[in-house]
Amino acid sequence: MAVSAADVRSALSIHETISASTPVQPRKTTAPSTKKPDGISRELYSLIGPSAPTLAAQLAKPRLKQKPNLGGGGRSRWEYRSFKNPARSDELELRHWVKASTDQNADYPFAKYNTQSSAYTYSQDEYTKYLEDKEWTKDETDYLFRIVQEYDTRWYIIHDRYDFPNGASRSIEDLKDRYFSVCRKLIRNKPWTSDETAKNLLLASLQFDKDRELMRKKYLLSLESRPPEQIVEEEALYIEVRRLEQNERKFKKEREDLLRTLAGIESGLPDIVEDEAPFGLTIDVKKKKKIGAAEAESPATPSTISLGIPITKRPPTAKNAAYDAMHYIIRTDPPTTTSATKSAHTPAYLRSFKLPAPKQAIAPKVTQALAELGILYTRLVMPTRENCAALEQLLEATTALIETKRIVDKVDYDIKVLKARLGVREHQGSEGVEDVNADGNTTSADAMDVDTANEEEIVGDDGRSQSVLSTRSARGRKHSRRSMSISSVDTATNVSTRAGTKRQKRS
Amino acid sequence: MVNYGGDEVAALVVDIGTSSLRAGYAGDDTPKVVIPTAYGYFTLPQDQDIDMEESTTGDVQTPKAKIHIGSSGPSVWRDGMEIGNPVTDGMISDFNPIPSLIQHALGDVMHCTTSEHPMLVTEPTWNTQANRERMAEIMFEEFHVPAFYIANTGVLNAFAAGKGSALVIDVGQSMASVTPVVDGFVLRKGLSFSPLPTLIRAHARHILTTSTSSRPGIELLPHQLITSKTPVEPNVVPTFTLREDRVSGTTQSWRMWTENREVDEWIQSVAGVLEQGWNDQAAAARQPKQYEFPTGFNTAFGSERFQVGEQFFWHSPQLVASNPNLPKTIPALITESLRACDPELRQVLMGNVVLTGGGSLFSGFADRLNAELTRSFQHTKIHAAANTVERRYGGWLGGSILASLGTFHQLWISKEEWQEHGRPIVGQRCK
Repeated sequence: MAVSAADVRSALSIHETISASTPVQPRKTTAPSTKKPDGISRELYSLIGPSAPTLAAQLAKPRLKQKPNLGGGGRSRWEYRSFKNPARSDELELRHWVKASTDQNADYPFAKYNTQSSAYTYSQDEYTKYLEDKEWTKDETDYLFRIVQEYDTRWYIIHDRYDFPNGASRSIEDLKDRYFSVCRKLIRNKPWTSDETAKNLLLASLQFDKDRELMRKKYLLSLESRPPEQIVEEEALYIEVRRLEQNERKFKKEREDLLRTLAGIESGLPDIVEDEAPFGLTIDVKKKKKIGAAEAESPATPSTISLGIPITKRPPTAKNAAYDAMHYIIRTDPPTTTSATKSAHTPAYLRSFKLPAPKQAIAPKVTQALAELGILYTRLVMPTRENCAALEQLLEATTALIETKRIVDKVDYDIKVLKARLGVREHQGSEGVEDVNADGNTTSADAMDVDTANEEEIVGDDGRSQSVLSTRSARGRKHSRRSMSISSVDTATNVSTRAGTKRQKRS
Repeated sequence: MVNYGGDEVAALVVDIGTSSLRAGYAGDDTPKVVIPTAYGYFTLPQDQDIDMEESTTGDVQTPKAKIHIGSSGPSVWRDGMEIGNPVTDGMISDFNPIPSLIQHALGDVMHCTTSEHPMLVTEPTWNTQANRERMAEIMFEEFHVPAFYIANTGVLNAFAAGKGSALVIDVGQSMASVTPVVDGFVLRKGLSFSPLPTLIRAHARHILTTSTSSRPGIELLPHQLITSKTPVEPNVVPTFTLREDRVSGTTQSWRMWTENREVDEWIQSVAGVLEQGWNDQAAAARQPKQYEFPTGFNTAFGSERFQVGEQFFWHSPQLVASNPNLPKTIPALITESLRACDPELRQVLMGNVVLTGGGSLFSGFADRLNAELTRSFQHTKIHAAANTVERRYGGWLGGSILASLGTFHQLWISKEEWQEHGRPIVGQRCK
């Protein structure tokens, strides 16, 4: 208490701004000191005076984040009002708190939930006319309708509370049956104002089949009254059935897999087969492609499909070659002759798109010939490079065969014609007949020799020549075995030359 | 306001049970007042104008001149004070102390003016028509309530669990009941109840008071009659001093009431039930529980504490043979109730089992019930509130919800209607 403000100022070495010499002056200074800056307590300000503006700035009242203004306008007034419920028939007034802004005369908001279901009524006249039932008296029917109305058709409760004095005990189905049948009769017989469909809909909604309901309840009861052993057994059976079904599925799947593996495309199973069973198929293909396919020896696994045109432009280095060999990548040089115009550009394509096709003119014949061999050439299961080459070769061979056969047929025909002429001549003069016959025999014998030699080398099995025969059979079965073998000789020998010319033409 | 369907009109809810009377405002989640239903009284000839300072002294035109109500009513020892309970078998059998009890709860504790508040009172399902009319009469004539409604505890317990249809299993202090509720209505034909908790208490009392090889029989003396006691080793005869001055003035009914309280306390803290059915080994394997009685006697209870709970679910054939009027067990009650219900409803009800009542807080009760029910019904779902307040005061809570609903206010029986129609209006309105 003894320490005055001046003492504190001197102690804190604050420059004395106000001289306290006259008693009037301090009164003057107190006037500005009352207007102290915010954030400094009055006591502190009276001690340090107005000479600490920097301090005052720091002590300014922190500005807090503004409070969110919810509800736009702050508080609202509530009133404790009494209200009447229009759903009530009496004058009961209860009191509750409501916002003062709500309408005084507005209806009680909950009164609208007081809904009443429409009731069916009938007169004494109607009852005697339509509703007579030997099981039910009018009084009891009246009672039923009253109680149904009272409990809003909650049948379980109606049945629970149903207590007609001296009445027979009624099941819930009895009650429903009676109520709905009466309602239906009333609707049918009362004049109906709106359309027929609505009436039928209403009638359908009031349909009740008592026997069916009873049956349903009986089933429900029997389901509930199963002994535990039965429940256990049923569960076990259910599990067993599920297990069997699963086994069946598994077995079927395995069977299909096996079929695909063994029979390949001929198994008649969906296309997915192709990728699933590559090995079986290659074997299959190879066996068929043995015909003059020297490169078929390489055990190329068709699991990787090489693109016809590689993406890389650089020339294959040694390392690349090794890599390619390891990964079965075959690179073909892009055609250098053509300029890099847009029209000349060859986009990436699947090899299967460029499968060789026989000439249009002889295509049916090729198809027929190959069909005899059991080869479907239009579609390759695995169009690898080798397979494509093999197919091309096959087609060329077939084409050559057919060409040759055409020539052979022509020659045959010529021979026949000549023979016929010869016969004519023989009739004219019998000499020289022996000669001609002998000549014919020798040629055929030579042909036979050649045939057998070539057959092993190129065709490889008898079936092939057989099939050639059958291809030709359309022309005439009369040909002797001799002529047949001639044809095969010719075919076989011609294959290489024909193929050679073909290839030249292509390139 | 409309979104939640609530519209509070400051209604009061009063729920009277065997053990306690619950009262509070509708819309609250817990009752404001919970006082014992039992009350202490002095019969006329003994009336000496004793005025107890804190407890209410109601003046009723009965032989019971002074009655002591509330938390310091029956539990305080008074010379020659008898104990009465207006509720027997869950139902109010003596209406004389009821106005005093309600007045104490609403007037003295809550300080309400009853003439300003609508009043919702609960009743057990087996309540009689005369009883509910009498209650309405008390409310209108003595408390001058503007509106009154009496609602079924089964329905209210279902509402408290948030269900319109439920199978309510209510285990109270004296009664266990199974009530099927459909769409907010009780199926009266499906109601089944028995004084099973009374049997449990009797059984527990029997176990405690009979001596076994390991311990002597236990004296169930309340602490009010004991001056001092010294700590003793377990299973040793206790050393305590009886308050001899009080013993002579203790009435039989007060002694009975306090002893029952001792038994109840023991049941609540020690007794239990095995979750998976009775099994000697399982019971023996459980940890024994230590318990000390007011006399200072203390012991550890092993498997015998589980025998008590077993009585809820299973009665030995010898016991059944010796006692033909044995209260039905919980599974028997449920079976009986379901048998009376429509087969279509059984699935619905078993999927909505509501377990409530203070007795259901018995240790292991809900788990055991679940085990029992799933054995016969696969899709049983038990709703048992984990909150003990919700479980104990489920009926009150349901009433609190109901009386604060906007759509409910058309159901009140107003004073006007009461005066116009008289007693039959109660039966017509409260279905």
